[in-house]
Amino acid sequence: MAGADVAPPNSLCKRCNEENAVQSIRSERVCDKCFSQYVTTKAIKRMETYRVRGSTAKAARKLLFPLSFGPSSASLLHILDQHLQGQYDRMNRAAYELIVLHIDLHLDVADRKDTSELLEKYKSRFPRHTYSSLGLEQALLLDGIDWKALNMPEPPQDISQKSGTERLQQLIGSMPSATSRTDVITTLLTRLLVDIAKRNGCESILFADSTTRLAEKTLTETAKGRGFSLPWQVSDGMSPHGVGFNYPLRDLLKKELVTFSSLAIPPLADFIISHGPSSQISASSKLTTINDLMAQYFESVEENYPSIVANVVRTSSKLQPLTGDETTACGLCGLPVAEGTDGIYGWGGGQNSASRAAKQDGSHEVLCYGCSRSLNG
Amino acid sequence: MAPVPCAICKTSRALIIRPKNHQKLCKWCFITIFEEEIHHTVTSTKLFTPGDRIAIGASGGKDSTVLASVLKTLNERYNYGLDLVLLSIDEGIKGYRDDSLETVKRNAVQYDMPLKIVGYDELYGWTMDQVVEAIGKKGNCTYCGVFRRQALDRGAKMLGIKHVVTGHNADDVAETILMNLLRGDLPRLARSTSIVTGDELSEVRRSKPLKYAYEKEIVLYAHHKKLDYFSTECLYSPEAFRGSARSLIKNLERVRPSAILDVVRSGEDMAKLVPEAVTGISHCKSQKVSLSSVDGEEEGTAGCGTNGRSSGGEMADMEKKLREDEEASSREINVTATTSNEISGQRHDRIGAKTEPRNGAKREPGKKLTRQTLGTCKKCGYMSSQDICKACMLLEGLNKNRPKIEIEVDVEDEESSTLRRRMEGLALAAG
Repeated sequence: MAGADVAPPNSLCKRCNEENAVQSIRSERVCDKCFSQYVTTKAIKRMETYRVRGSTAKAARKLLFPLSFGPSSASLLHILDQHLQGQYDRMNRAAYELIVLHIDLHLDVADRKDTSELLEKYKSRFPRHTYSSLGLEQALLLDGIDWKALNMPEPPQDISQKSGTERLQQLIGSMPSATSRTDVITTLLTRLLVDIAKRNGCESILFADSTTRLAEKTLTETAKGRGFSLPWQVSDGMSPHGVGFNYPLRDLLKKELVTFSSLAIPPLADFIISHGPSSQISASSKLTTINDLMAQYFESVEENYPSIVANVVRTSSKLQPLTGDETTACGLCGLPVAEGTDGIYGWGGGQNSASRAAKQDGSHEVLCYGCSRSLNG
Repeated sequence: MAPVPCAICKTSRALIIRPKNHQKLCKWCFITIFEEEIHHTVTSTKLFTPGDRIAIGASGGKDSTVLASVLKTLNERYNYGLDLVLLSIDEGIKGYRDDSLETVKRNAVQYDMPLKIVGYDELYGWTMDQVVEAIGKKGNCTYCGVFRRQALDRGAKMLGIKHVVTGHNADDVAETILMNLLRGDLPRLARSTSIVTGDELSEVRRSKPLKYAYEKEIVLYAHHKKLDYFSTECLYSPEAFRGSARSLIKNLERVRPSAILDVVRSGEDMAKLVPEAVTGISHCKSQKVSLSSVDGEEEGTAGCGTNGRSSGGEMADMEKKLREDEEASSREINVTATTSNEISGQRHDRIGAKTEPRNGAKREPGKKLTRQTLGTCKKCGYMSSQDICKACMLLEGLNKNRPKIEIEVDVEDEESSTLRRRMEGLALAAG
């Protein structure tokens, strides 16, 4: 954190004035305990909707908790587990219950075995929640996706002998670039989460995105032509899918969560799969994605200008979804597309339609600009 | 290896890989499609009306030279019926503009267009050299930048022209969108993407016909058409936010060539999502023409940085300010604990509240939105969100310190009398 180097050693925590200050909250030097307290409070404050209220026992509200095994989702699960414990201790009941779900992006059998072992570890550490794990290929069974646009057979008509993972691999492999591959994976992941949330009667999905991650997302989605979707990607509230999206860690920086996860007792280290720093990314590599570029950028901004990172998120969270326009759901991401703005040519900047033959198969498939860009390169 | 045929005409040999979409084209098909796309932009946005007098903001650089060349070509090919004039600004820095102004003078001959060069001295009563003499080298970039933003509009007004076109390209627009996101500037985010700035009420409209044209394609076009432009390593070092945005755009283009256009598209879409309270723009009205740029700062040419602050200074300043705000607001909450709790309670309740309409969950009360309303400067009449525009404020400061003899007339009179003299001069020249 900024200021970490200039503080005198062995100074006392600014908050409790008891312990040695070894951490920083923005420019304040604090002890480990007060730091963890700060992170917990910030997250719990965003969970205020889910307080235990009134004396009559109501059924606990169900929330879907996507667990990626990264430091943010591990930290959030740790925090919410304590939050729920507190509710039980005080009221003998809880206002919500978590349905923890890991979506496996690995296609390899050995990798998947590791995943299920790790999930078992979570189960024994935080036993009060429901756990399940699904492969991303389950998304290929969803209806409500325009599979034809993706050159894939509709789920019930698929009589090929290929397994789900093979078909997923084929679909991802058919994308024109690394950015498109990542984009389609993210879209399928979201659609699958929404579907699972609905089928389990969850009213919201709790995403463990940090401020840094949300800032990253703001610029990534902008760069992918998905600026229109930002109100649902960075703000708390009802999504067009009919399930709420919540971001309880929106006020915490990535590095704060990494520190927090390292301070948890008992340690969380064995529960976290960390991806290395993205500083090695080169823009000239064919495998580099727009997501990588933005992650790298905000990692460096976070270092010296954490408030600017937070300000980006505050700014994009002020964008409001359009209301009243005639919209159709995008055949891939499912978000509403305003009449006449679908595809990559449906606007002033898409001039070169003459030089590129438009799809002429008669069917009018509506894809949003971003999805259309991903499929067309 | 067999030569690759052009993807459009299929006959000539492809010599150009289009930066925008990596299409392989022959030279002539590239030139044609580049021109046709600008024609498409011009017609689909109904940018001009026959008989319009249009001033082309000409710096002698690649963008404005290509703009002048393409507009001349299209004006003749499609009978736009436009009266095109080159308008250049001379900041009055000895030795700095000489080469580029010479280029503009040659362009005027090559394109057979009238050229008007207006100096800061005519517009403001001060050349930049005089400003530097008066205030020293430090901080004079502020003056130059502020003056430049208004110079084209003021120059056009002097010529009696109501529409200025500038050479801002897709890269500039995309860069501005990212910059405004990084700076958290929603009002500018809402304004900066529209092709025309300035509504019917303002005296001079501005537009950017090259808004969708890639910088790399502009360079290619200039090269293959053998246009005469002044290429120089720009002295201007961008401020930190713009510099940051610029390098992001360059990297994005490398990773996905369409990304520049995709950012522009996102920016156009996001402009519609900025709450009305921020922009003062009602979305019920036509989206085509949005409110004008208050000071044009969102456009790519602000300030040269030779004497500017060291790179990163702006980000550090903003970081500091944001932190102070944060601290201040955390103190505020302690005092008004009840209200703030109510607000946040209300906010979080929304999600579960049955009576609330679903998209009502989005609205968060208690967030401060800064609203900008556009008026005109009381002194010069130029559009401004303040009573007195920035240029007039700076001039006031400058003129205060000028030796007595030179401030016999106050700013306003000096302005208008200079203007009057110019108009007279023009009328004579035209006649």
